[in-house]
Amino acid sequence: MSDVAARIDAIEIGGRRLRVTETGQGPVLIHLAGARGSGLIPAHALLARRFRVLVFESPAPLSVGAAEPPEALAEGLAAATQRLGIEAFDLLGTSAGAPAAVALARHARERVRALVLEAPLLLDPARRDEALEHRLGELTVPTLVLLGTEDTVLPGAVGRAYKALIPGSHLVFVYAAGHAIAADRPEAFAEVVGDFLERHEAFVVSRARSVILP
Amino acid sequence: MVTSGLVKVSFFETARYCTPRPLPAEWPVASGGYEAEAGAAAYRGMIERLRCVEQMGFDWLSVSEHHYSPRILTPSPIVAAAFLAAHLERITIALLGPIVPHSNPVRVAEELAMLDTMTAGRLVVGLLRGTANEAMTYDLNPQEARDRTDEGMALILKAWTEPEPFGWQGRHFQYRTVSIWPRPRQQPHPPTFALGTSRESLQFAARHRLGCGVSYGPFEVMGRATRYYREECARHGWAPAPEQILYRANMLVAETDEAAHALLRAQSAQAPFSMRAGVRDAVAALDARNIAGEARSAVVTGALPTTFIGSPDTVVEQVRRCREAIGAGVIDLSLHPPGAADLAPLTRALDLFGSKVLPRIREI
Repeated sequence: MSDVAARIDAIEIGGRRLRVTETGQGPVLIHLAGARGSGLIPAHALLARRFRVLVFESPAPLSVGAAEPPEALAEGLAAATQRLGIEAFDLLGTSAGAPAAVALARHARERVRALVLEAPLLLDPARRDEALEHRLGELTVPTLVLLGTEDTVLPGAVGRAYKALIPGSHLVFVYAAGHAIAADRPEAFAEVVGDFLERHEAFVVSRARSVILP
Repeated sequence: MVTSGLVKVSFFETARYCTPRPLPAEWPVASGGYEAEAGAAAYRGMIERLRCVEQMGFDWLSVSEHHYSPRILTPSPIVAAAFLAAHLERITIALLGPIVPHSNPVRVAEELAMLDTMTAGRLVVGLLRGTANEAMTYDLNPQEARDRTDEGMALILKAWTEPEPFGWQGRHFQYRTVSIWPRPRQQPHPPTFALGTSRESLQFAARHRLGCGVSYGPFEVMGRATRYYREECARHGWAPAPEQILYRANMLVAETDEAAHALLRAQSAQAPFSMRAGVRDAVAALDARNIAGEARSAVVTGALPTTFIGSPDTVVEQVRRCREAIGAGVIDLSLHPPGAADLAPLTRALDLFGSKVLPRIREI
């Protein structure tokens, strides 16, 4: 990542210091990357052309089996970003970062412009969580859910549950991507995420150029 | 190897365009040489012939996709199938099949869903990459054909089975909001085959629980491909039924073995789609093919082999051997070379097959 300007910092959240990596310019995109932490990947460089991307590490569990409740993390992030002078932002939740992203989209709904869930570890097909389904149903932010067609962690059938629960949401399958969609297909990831964040539901209208020769 | 269970028999229909005028052999054949009356007769004759085929008790009829030549007059197997479905009440219609890499996979999914619904669930689908010459039909780069086929097949399956509108962020295909109406009548989708002997196609079939289809080659060679397929299926935790393995082949059946071999000698030795040497070489260089991983040429030099040949007794025995060697529960038969000028031998072969071979295949 030597050609991408990046700043690494630490943010005080709920009495703990979380690392955050920042790159790019433009509207703010907050990325809760789950287990991958705050390191940058090529997809971030692509998004950094249009967005000021802040990648937050997930807090380590306070003790074995006691993961940080997403609501607490969401409140801490909302306050921390306010202290940084960030008013409105786009939000990307990846894998285990998805619960906190959903919580933040609920908690700070006036400030979150759009939400992207990348291979979310949230709905469990094996057991229904009606409270979670209710919370998803209350989301008011434009939402895009991404699933990789080769994801061996999440079954492809879970996508339809998110689409059905989250009002006005969009579901996109990323072909030949596993659970780590952005890592497997950075350009494909950046294109659909960038387009959705820019245009929300209008992203279904193609702007692709098909002229082969003038 | 499973050797019990009935063998299903399919009739490979090529919409026989016959004309006394000699036609050029080089592909593509000039469109200006087409005669409207011969074309109309081809499609009328197709219906008459298939009514007999249905009467005789064939399990399936099949149509393929080939372009720019009178040899097989079905550039759209889907249009052919819709026409046939309106004229034939009972027989299963197998599309073997849509050439995926030069198609719009979502449109293929929609049209097959329409067909499956219009035929009340009598559809079977074979998806394939296509013969080497077909890359030139719609300006497809042969080097991209394999990847486009794999992605296209995955997208067709998704379009058939995903109940919510979805986007597809692919390498070769991109859509934002797919949601097909109608949906297939057969659920989760019509019986579907990935056709081809390549490792990639057999792996795809095994992964997605599709059937596999192999064609024309000797039983032992085709058997290597289907054995690989069954191993891959086992790796994915399932075993295919016999009717999920299909073998398309040429058959020459006559009253005696000698008569059948005489028919073979009288046939043209020419390759089915003769391309100019420079074109053929360019295609071969760009179009890498394999049989279960062993490299083979994309371009067929010379006529396709005939692996069922002889008297009814001989042919029945060959079908039994084929069942053992390949494990195919479906054989899809061409009884007379496509593009032949005279149809009388086809009628004779059909009568002989229907009366002396088909009833005995039931007992294999």
